Amino acid sequence: MKQRRVVVTGIGVVTPIGTGRERFWTNLLEGRSGIGPVRSFDTSAYSVHRGAEVHGFEVENYLSNLDAAHLGRASQFAIAAARLALADANVEIASLDLERAGVSMGTTSGEPREVERFDDLFIGKMLERVGPEFLGLYPSHVIAAHIARELRFAGINIMIPTACAAGNYAIAHAFDVLRAGRADLMLAGGSDSFSRITYTGFAQLGAIAPEVCQPFDRYRKGMIPGEGAGVIVLEPLSSAKHRGARIYAEICGYGLSCDAHHMTAAHPNGEGAVRAMKQALEQSETNLEEVSYISAHGTGTATNDRLETIAVKQLFGDAAYRIPVSSIKSMLGHTMGAASAIEAAACALAVYHDRIPPTINLREPDPECDLDYVPNCAREHVVQVAMNNAYAFGGNNASLILRKCHQETQKTQTS
Amino acid sequence: MRNRVVITGAGVISSLGDSPSSLQLSLCSGRRAVKPVELFSTAGLGCPLGGEIPSFDAKKYLGRRNLRPLDRTSRLVASAAQIALDDSGWSESMRKQQEVGLVLGTMFCSVHTISEFDRRAVEVGPGYASPMDFSNTVINAAAGQTAILHNLRGINSTISTGITSGLQAIAYATEIIRSGRARAILAGGADEMCFESFYGFDRAGLLCRSDESAGDFPIPFDKRRNGFALGEGAALLMIEDAHFARERGARALAEITGHGCAYDCSHAEDDESAVNAIALSVRRALNDAFTGPHEIDCLSASANGSYTGDRHEAKGICAGLNGQTRKLPVTAIKSMLGETLGASGPMQAIALLETMRDGVLPGINGLEQVEDDLAFDLISADNSEIDLDEALINSVGFDGHCCSLVLARVQ
Repeated sequence: MKQRRVVVTGIGVVTPIGTGRERFWTNLLEGRSGIGPVRSFDTSAYSVHRGAEVHGFEVENYLSNLDAAHLGRASQFAIAAARLALADANVEIASLDLERAGVSMGTTSGEPREVERFDDLFIGKMLERVGPEFLGLYPSHVIAAHIARELRFAGINIMIPTACAAGNYAIAHAFDVLRAGRADLMLAGGSDSFSRITYTGFAQLGAIAPEVCQPFDRYRKGMIPGEGAGVIVLEPLSSAKHRGARIYAEICGYGLSCDAHHMTAAHPNGEGAVRAMKQALEQSETNLEEVSYISAHGTGTATNDRLETIAVKQLFGDAAYRIPVSSIKSMLGHTMGAASAIEAAACALAVYHDRIPPTINLREPDPECDLDYVPNCAREHVVQVAMNNAYAFGGNNASLILRKCHQETQKTQTS
Repeated sequence: MRNRVVITGAGVISSLGDSPSSLQLSLCSGRRAVKPVELFSTAGLGCPLGGEIPSFDAKKYLGRRNLRPLDRTSRLVASAAQIALDDSGWSESMRKQQEVGLVLGTMFCSVHTISEFDRRAVEVGPGYASPMDFSNTVINAAAGQTAILHNLRGINSTISTGITSGLQAIAYATEIIRSGRARAILAGGADEMCFESFYGFDRAGLLCRSDESAGDFPIPFDKRRNGFALGEGAALLMIEDAHFARERGARALAEITGHGCAYDCSHAEDDESAVNAIALSVRRALNDAFTGPHEIDCLSASANGSYTGDRHEAKGICAGLNGQTRKLPVTAIKSMLGETLGASGPMQAIALLETMRDGVLPGINGLEQVEDDLAFDLISADNSEIDLDEALINSVGFDGHCCSLVLARVQ
C-alpha cells in the first residue's frame, strides 16, 4: 500500500533565547544562553536561583479569538507557537478543511501555575476565590484545546502528557494521524511554563545546576529548568508540493519504549533508550551510517549525559564517534514538555540548513562522555538524517527521525 | 492492509465491582454508587455526592509488592492492570520475553498529589518537599509506576483529553497495533476522586444539585437532570494484534473495528457546533469500521446528567447515525457510576463486553421522565435483552472533545 509521506513545513517557537524561527535559529547557532536569575517566583528559600525563562512575551500579538485572561501561560506559549508555525508555513487558515485540521501537543505539567494559585488560596484560607475558571484553565488538555479554539481547528485534538519526552510523542502521533489519512494538516509540539512545582522537585532531587548548564562537561552540575513552546506544521508531502511549500525536513519514523525500571532514573545500561533508537531506525528504514546528527536529550545531569552516551555507543558502535551529538539545552535549559518539540524544530532546521547547533559551556570533556558533542561553536555539516532523542520520568524514551527532503529524493522515493 | 485488533482481557476497579462480571451485575441490578462523599469534606460545596470506591485497597490485587511509591491513582491503575494481565493470560514470564505496552487515558492523573507536594513546599519550605512525591507530580506518573510494577516495556503513553481520555487512549493504542508497531497494549483510563478536582467541577457548576423531585443522583436523559456526579476508578483492556493473539491461543472477547474523534471549537457553548462535532466523531468511527447506522445494535452513551451535554449527545448521535436511532437500544452507565472521567469510556467498553456475552443491556437508573424529542424510543430504566454483534461507544467532554469507538463480536 502506498504510504503517505509526512513533512515539516512550518516552525513556531517561544523560547528563552527568542521567539520565532529566525531569532531562535540565529541565537542557537551563535551559542546564546537563555539562562538567568529566576523572576517567576521568589527563590530565596532554595539553594539554587537560576532558570531559563521567557521574557518580554506578549500574547496579545497572537490572539484573534480568545481572551488572554482566560489562558494559562503554557496555553499562551502554545497558541503563539502555533500561530508562528502556521505563518512560517504560509498556511491560510481559510484555505483549510477545518474538520481535517488537528492538534497534537505534549506537556510535563500542563498549567501548573493554576494549581499553585489554588494552593496559595487554600493555604491562605481564601479558596472561595477559586472560581468557575479553574476547571477551564488547569487540566493539561486545555493547552491543545486552546490552540484549536483560537484557530477553529475541529479535527483530532489530543494532549500527550508524557513529561520531558512529550514533544516527541506528540509529533510521533501527528505523524501517525497523517499517515493514516485522518487529517490534512497537524500542528504538533509541546508547551510548558516555568513552575514552582517543577523547580522545587528538581531542586529536591539535587538536579539543578547553580550557574550554567554544561552537558557532557566533566564538571557539569545539573540541569536548568526552563519554559517555552515548540510547534511544527506537519502535512503530507503531496499537499506541501501542491501548494509549493518550503519543506524543512521529512518525518520518517519514530521509536517509543519504556525502561520499566525507575520513575526518575534511567536504566543503568540505557537499554530502553537503545530500543527506542533502534525501533526508530528500523521503522524509518534508516541505516545506522545514514545518521548525520543526533540531538541529545542532554540535560546536563551527571547520570543522563553518561547513560545517553553509553546508549548511543551501544547502538552505533564505532560509528558513534563520527556522528555529531549536541544538546541545545546548554542554551535553552530544560523546557520540559516543550523540549523535544523545540529540539525537533532545531533538527528540522539543521537538516534544512546543513548547520548543527553547538553544545555550549563544554570546556573540559568528561572521559566517560567521549563523543563529538559539537563543543561551543556551530558547525557546517551535511545533515541527511537527524535523530531527536528525548527521555522522561516514568522511564519513557522517544526517538524521532527527520530526513532531508529535496527534489531528487522526492522523485526516487515514491514508495 | 491494517492489522485487526482484538480485546483479549479486561480489568476494572470501580465503585460497583472489581471485575467485569461484578460490574455488569451491579449495573443490571440497578445498584447506585453515587452517595454522599466520604473521602473528604464537601462542606461549603454545592454538591455533596460522588461515586467513590469504598475501602479500596490495592494490596488485594497486588499482594506484597512495594506500593509505597504509588499514589491512589497509580494504585487504581496498577490494580486494574494486574486484573487485565491475568484475564488475558499475559504472565510475568511472557512479559519478560515480549514487550507489552501501556496507554493510559487520564484527565488529572493526580492533581491531589501535585497540590499536596506544592502545599508542603510552600507551608514548610521547599527543602521539605518529598522527591518521591515529585516523581508522581508528572501526568504520566500512573503509567510509569504501573509499567515498573508489571514490567511493561513496550510503548508507554498517556493521553489527556478530559472525559474522553480513556476512549481516546484505546483509539490511540488501536492505531499503534493496526500499523504493526506493537502486538499487545494495555489501554484504558483512570481518574481518582479527590478534593482538588471535585472542587474545580463544583465551582464550574457542572455537578448535580440535590433536588427533591429528582432525588440525590444524576439521571442521564431525564428532564429533571441538573448535572453529573463525579466518580472514580480504573479500567483497562488488553488489546492485541488479532493474528498474534490467535497464535498464542488467546480468547478474543471482541474486535475493535473503528474509532473516530472530533473537537467542538465552541467548547459546548454553541448547540450546533457541539452537535456537529459529536456527529462527525460518530460518522468517522462508523466509516473507519466499514459499517453503517443500520448495523449498530446498541449505544453506550457518554450522557452523565449534564443539562446541555446529554442533549447535545443525543442530537449528535442521531445526526451521526443519519436519524436511525428510534429503534436503537441505549444505555448510560454513568447514571450508576457517576462520571469517572478518564476511566469512563473504558468502563463503557467493559460493560458492553459483558452485554455481548450475556445479552443484557443495563437500563438507565432512575430514568422516568425522558427528555423531549430525543429520537431514542428504546430508552428506559429497565434492562433490555439484545443480541449484540456491533456496538457504538460514545464519549463526549464537557468542553469540546468527542470520541467514538465501534466494538464488534469476533466472527
